[in-house]
Amino acid sequence: MKQGSSVRLMAAALAAGTLLIAACSSDGSTTNGTTAATTADTSASETTAAAVETTAAPETTAAAETGWAVDTSACIDPAAAEAPIEGTVKIGSAMPLSGGIAAAAFAPVKGGFEAYIKYANEKKLLGDITIEATIEDDQYNKDLTPGAVSKQIDAGVNLFAGIIGSPNNGAVRDTLNEECIPQLNALTGSPAWGEVADYPWTTGILVPYTVESKVYAKQLAEMYPDGANVAMFYVNNEFGQVYADAFKELAPDYNLTIVDEQTIEAEDPAPPVSQITSIAAKKPDVVMAVPLGAGCVTFLGALADAKAQNADWTPATFITNTCASSLILGAAGAAADGLYTSNNLVDVAAPANAENPNVKEYLAFMEAQKLSEIATTASAGWTTAEATVAILKQAAESPEGLSRASIINAARNFTFTPMLARDGVVDKSSGEEDPFLAQSLQVLQYDADTATFTDIGSLITEFES
Amino acid sequence: MTMPFTLRSGGAASWALRLVAGAVLVYVMFWIPTQASNGVIDTCITALTLMAAAMALNLLLGYTGQISIGHSAFFGIGAYTTGILVSRYGWSPFQTLAVAFVVAFVVGALVSLPALRIKGVYLALVTLSLGLVFPQLIKAPKMEWLTGGARGLDKTGFKFTKKNPTYEIFGWNPWGNLRGENVKPFLYWIAMIIVIIVYLACRGVVKSRAGRSLIAIRDNETAAAVMGVNLAVTKGLAFGLSAALCSLPGCLSAIRTGNVTPDSTNLTVLGAITFLIVMVVGGAGSLWGPIIGSALYVFVTDRTGDWSDKEAIPAVLRPFFGWSHTPPGSGIFAVVLIALMFVAPFGIVGMWHRVVRRFVKVVPRPAGTGTIDTPATAPAEA
Repeated sequence: MKQGSSVRLMAAALAAGTLLIAACSSDGSTTNGTTAATTADTSASETTAAAVETTAAPETTAAAETGWAVDTSACIDPAAAEAPIEGTVKIGSAMPLSGGIAAAAFAPVKGGFEAYIKYANEKKLLGDITIEATIEDDQYNKDLTPGAVSKQIDAGVNLFAGIIGSPNNGAVRDTLNEECIPQLNALTGSPAWGEVADYPWTTGILVPYTVESKVYAKQLAEMYPDGANVAMFYVNNEFGQVYADAFKELAPDYNLTIVDEQTIEAEDPAPPVSQITSIAAKKPDVVMAVPLGAGCVTFLGALADAKAQNADWTPATFITNTCASSLILGAAGAAADGLYTSNNLVDVAAPANAENPNVKEYLAFMEAQKLSEIATTASAGWTTAEATVAILKQAAESPEGLSRASIINAARNFTFTPMLARDGVVDKSSGEEDPFLAQSLQVLQYDADTATFTDIGSLITEFES
Repeated sequence: MTMPFTLRSGGAASWALRLVAGAVLVYVMFWIPTQASNGVIDTCITALTLMAAAMALNLLLGYTGQISIGHSAFFGIGAYTTGILVSRYGWSPFQTLAVAFVVAFVVGALVSLPALRIKGVYLALVTLSLGLVFPQLIKAPKMEWLTGGARGLDKTGFKFTKKNPTYEIFGWNPWGNLRGENVKPFLYWIAMIIVIIVYLACRGVVKSRAGRSLIAIRDNETAAAVMGVNLAVTKGLAFGLSAALCSLPGCLSAIRTGNVTPDSTNLTVLGAITFLIVMVVGGAGSLWGPIIGSALYVFVTDRTGDWSDKEAIPAVLRPFFGWSHTPPGSGIFAVVLIALMFVAPFGIVGMWHRVVRRFVKVVPRPAGTGTIDTPATAPAEA
């Protein structure tokens, strides 16, 4: 038994250590948002600060009268799908609130989401209807998402919004579509949320990664009319792979040649020195990068080192807007200078936007909730909740009144401008013709000295609708 | 010291206790899908998935003493076998279980080869590397045509529609009250069947001559070899069977969630560590240990899932956990694990046995007689 005992003790010590590390890594994560990687949450523009108008309530337009309408006859319980929702509308969600790196990155989204729900109730944006939001922890583990969602369905949740992660949303997509419960504003940019025919009750909110790739390819074609050599660096997970596949598919159309592809694991904290060395050896005109979270900082540092060692190599660097936070790029320092990225929201942390009335209102409300520390990274949650409430408002004002069916009909016939949106952004969705809500992006260039972004060209809206 | 109670193994009281326990177990087993809410059913499916994986690991680590921190790879083999056959070749999800079993058995047997020469921490490192390499292998560009690369595979589950038939035997529905053809009870039964298969397989091995060989290898390899145990074959079978059984909950995961990605928690080393934790907390080297450990782990994480909201924490516990901005489930379990290692190194089941034996004198049945004559010492824990 002696050997068996030692094996057990060794296993126990290992497991306890891992658990404690996992637990410690998540604790306090909500107060430290410097490495958070919420998508499309921030950007700044010196030119748009005064241009955004104050909007206490989200701006919406009524659904087209002949717009897309869901077929409730396919529901398990059609009557429940069309039953009026009165008094209180309950929104459910599942997010990674504990469990390590994902929790550190995404936990602030919860704060922003809940803050907006409180804001909407205080402003009575839905009139006499009270909004309740419950957010369960799924630890970014898709095997835990169904349980978290079912528990909330049992508690009488009317719709879900802002579930984070493609596999996590995919894990409950069948259930929610069979039950005919709206699954709104999935917080992923996967193109999978455009399958209206198969999954009419599921919508996304982020700019699809494929659209962002197109925006960069278009910009590169303008910068390099004779064509350019491009090296790709991306995180080796579903997020990075979708980006890379989309960009590679588009590259020939824009006269771009992929000369190298390097990847890094999402959990790898080490700087990607060998990958960047490989890229530098090819001396491409452009480095197209899709890192994630803290990986944005390590990538930029490694790239700056490589450029310093190869003085004749000055590539243009394009980086995904998951890194386009002034906090993340600020952490990278001078290494981030001159990079290109994109966004459709303003950077709430940028001094240039301090006088923007919507930013001021947002920051003041977050401060009142004692959430100032996460205000930058929480804006993604705030905007997601804002879009959700706007959909509910449109559904409540429809002839059918507020019901699960009218909610999804509103979501699929929706025109919306978030209060933190850049000037000119109008998000639209229209049934099967335009299943994606946000598709406008502004290409930006970062100035590390002033920690601000400069607009490059005008807002790209050609992929909208 | 005279104990207040005496229980003769195989006696009437012993059988009565077993019958009562069995009846309660069966009642709970049927109560969950027929009476409980969907949330409870889903939580139970999560627990059952973990139970099957932990029991499979227990066969290797708890009974054979071969440490493995790479069982997430075998779980992944199951998930990907189902994912590939369903999404790429249109198989029925349930047909894929047998294929996953065979594939994982072969891989497990191959992994056992290093175990013939190394042990302890070195074997742990080999299995750890297996757990680390598996997701990379799945993501490899040359495997993308099959595995979907880093994007994973979609639509790997069983598509339920309201047209799916219900089954009734004289008005009684063995799948449970499907509540409008709800998929949850159906998945619950699939999970339950997998757990029963894994339990019976483990029990069958452990109670057999092969099981005694495994325990002999765990306790003293040299002595086992001297006694005629074929180390290579026995270790190979233990690895193979453990891997094969661990692939079944992987299949269930793919069926249940409808997608498979290489970064899923249970397919990474974190998943393997979780299997290890629940097994150790429940009681390694005990058939019921992984079951108890998994149930406790899922209960704790489920109950504390909304504790980032202070109002959700019971008032009596708020002073202890109110400071946390995140659900404290993992932290609680880590503390429980450390405490158990001090007070009950054989886990909860071991502690239960120890407590019971303070009050109950268990008299084993003499081997080969079927009668009870002479009191003997308490049996070794199994």
